[in-house]
Amino acid sequence: MKRGLLISILYLGLISITFSQDLEYHKLYSLTDGMTAEQIMKIMYHNKYSLFAKDITFKGEVIYIDSPTFQRKRKYKKSRIILGKDGFSYKELTVITYPTEVKGLAVLVWSYISPQKDQQVWLWLPSLKKVRKISASQDDDSFMGSDFTVEEVSTRRFEDETYRLIGEKVFSGYEFDYMKKTIFKGRRCYVIEAKPKKKNWYYAKRIVWIDKEIGGNIYEEYFDKKGRLFKKIFRYWKLIDVNGKKYPTQIALEVKDLRTNHKTIILMEDIKYDQNIKEEYFTVKTLMRQRW
Amino acid sequence: MRKIVILFISLLLENFAYPFEIKNENFEYAGFLKTEVWLKINNDNQHLFLSSFKNTFDLETEYKISENWVFFTHLRYYYDFAYDIRNRENFDRNQSISGHTPRTHWLRDCYLDFNSDKLDLRLGKQQVVWGQTDIPILDRVMPLDLSWWWLRDLEEIRIPLWMIKAEYLTSLNSTLQVLIIPDFEANRSAPAYDTFSFRSVNAFYDFKNLMKSLGGNVIVKNYSVPKKFKNSTFGVRWRSIIPGFDLEYTFNYLYGYTYSAYTYFEGVKNIKGIFGALPIADYYYSRRHKRYQLFGFSFAKSFVEAGILKGLTLKGEFCFIHKEPAYYGISGSRVITENTDKYNWGLALERYIFTNWLVNLQLLQFRTKDFTKQGYKLLDTATYGIQDKYENYLILKVMTDFMHERLKPELLILWQDDNSGRIVSKVKYELRENIWLKLGVAHFFGELDTPNGEFRNKDQLFFEVKYTF
Repeated sequence: MKRGLLISILYLGLISITFSQDLEYHKLYSLTDGMTAEQIMKIMYHNKYSLFAKDITFKGEVIYIDSPTFQRKRKYKKSRIILGKDGFSYKELTVITYPTEVKGLAVLVWSYISPQKDQQVWLWLPSLKKVRKISASQDDDSFMGSDFTVEEVSTRRFEDETYRLIGEKVFSGYEFDYMKKTIFKGRRCYVIEAKPKKKNWYYAKRIVWIDKEIGGNIYEEYFDKKGRLFKKIFRYWKLIDVNGKKYPTQIALEVKDLRTNHKTIILMEDIKYDQNIKEEYFTVKTLMRQRW
Repeated sequence: MRKIVILFISLLLENFAYPFEIKNENFEYAGFLKTEVWLKINNDNQHLFLSSFKNTFDLETEYKISENWVFFTHLRYYYDFAYDIRNRENFDRNQSISGHTPRTHWLRDCYLDFNSDKLDLRLGKQQVVWGQTDIPILDRVMPLDLSWWWLRDLEEIRIPLWMIKAEYLTSLNSTLQVLIIPDFEANRSAPAYDTFSFRSVNAFYDFKNLMKSLGGNVIVKNYSVPKKFKNSTFGVRWRSIIPGFDLEYTFNYLYGYTYSAYTYFEGVKNIKGIFGALPIADYYYSRRHKRYQLFGFSFAKSFVEAGILKGLTLKGEFCFIHKEPAYYGISGSRVITENTDKYNWGLALERYIFTNWLVNLQLLQFRTKDFTKQGYKLLDTATYGIQDKYENYLILKVMTDFMHERLKPELLILWQDDNSGRIVSKVKYELRENIWLKLGVAHFFGELDTPNGEFRNKDQLFFEVKYTF
């Protein structure tokens, strides 16, 4: 009896030790019942940055809703290779394709596995016809002039916050104005409270709704130090079939800044996975191919 | 070289199995129409206030021939109405030189790209840029059009050349770049008594007119570089990253003719009299481009790990120029032209502060080995002012944005250690996705015999409207 109990405890301990280690790259993980907030968020981040895939390419469109009658757009192409080796998490290349004034502006980013290391960033500037090594943007800076911060789109990591599981709830649905429909109504979600470890950060806490089936964060609410809601982010996820595997993929994002009444929408299309893009593509040599 | 490239492209296109047709999905174009107005703020009674009323048409086209081959062209034509509007002799005399895009300069880029995993080839008219800082230290591959001093975008200032550029990936993060440039174009500067003409150009122009009026002559023989393969410029650049330390570096070598033509005094004949201390005679000069070599290196490092330096980018470059001509004389007067060596270096620090304010600070030094020759002092080539052995520059650039990147102000302060320099401040505004406005001011300060100080009465206010398509 005692030996059996000891073995069970050891076995459970092994499972929790195994799971508390980092998730493996190029592997899909699903949310299951009984997971802790940390386990859920690890899988969420794994899916957010597509770390289950070998590579991903897509075309993006950023729509700035400056007012009900005035909108602006930026379009871009992005390629990302997921590495998980030699210290690198992923490398990605983004090229802006519209409008003409910023067409050809390209950014090469190398992101590291270590959460202590910022990204390495190179910029191709058409007005200089030159590659410039630049400092990574401040994480609370606006992403491409949108209402998203750089952190919300591309740099926030699991280690940047502490988590508390509020519970399981049914999502009431999101009125996505751009698509003129309500999305994810009735979806079962984990609801987690996340607080940043950085002091005096641009938000004090956020409430994150994570879809149990998809494993992605479909809705977030941001609160300031006084507990006031100031930002809402909706993420439209879909499971895309890739050679029989279901890859959780963001296909649209919408953010509403309640302080400025400004809204930004990001749409992703022509999403392709596992195209066997070579790591050589994500070098300065490729940046220097830019023509515009 | 131009003919070889055109022939090559034609043969290549002929060899494709399918008939050549422009398919919409493979063809891309973009361009703009721009109007800019430059007004001189100071009133020195030498120029009317309208410096420029320039209208530009720009078109870039790209045709993807196949997965690896792309054909790209870039056309740009401008016409400056200021020369038609103004009514001052010297200014309007320059209309044929500065009033519109001269000769075939409307063809900015025209090249064929071959891209593969290991090798990238670019054949045709193009720009190649070296270096890390904003003042050319290593960036000496292309000739420059300084007819508007440094006030235009660098992409516009550099003059493209016909060349072969090969970039070979020797390992994941290392490339070897080889340049063969049989083409040649001289640096351009503003003609005499144009808005940003150099003092040395004005002085020489005055001297020529004076001699002519006195019955003498000034004969200048221009020796341009024949566009033959043996006169080509050759360049090599090795680029790599030190793993673990994440330091990016390059080694550079360039061998070619100076893009600046240097004036050499060839002699005096037929002395007819004296004007003050100046003989009235036939003066003979030559303008020559000389062979020189450049050896250099550059580096860039972004501090990405936790610590006090996190978020900072440090960049630097150095070059040694062997046997480049320099002027020697007395203040305001060039006497001899002799070869000398030059050592130039620059360091830059860059960082974001207050979230989205990008601050860039650069320290540059230009050093000439021989400060004196034959008892004469080193002169600045543009102003004929006495140049220090060490010329130091400090540059501060600050950029930010507001209104979701619709409003982008920028400030540049360049200060030289002889208390001269320039301040350029501009703000760009996105009225619509395809309509941009720009407003700015350029202020020059310093003594008249310094490179920026010579324009201290030429402060400019500029405004631009750009429609893109």
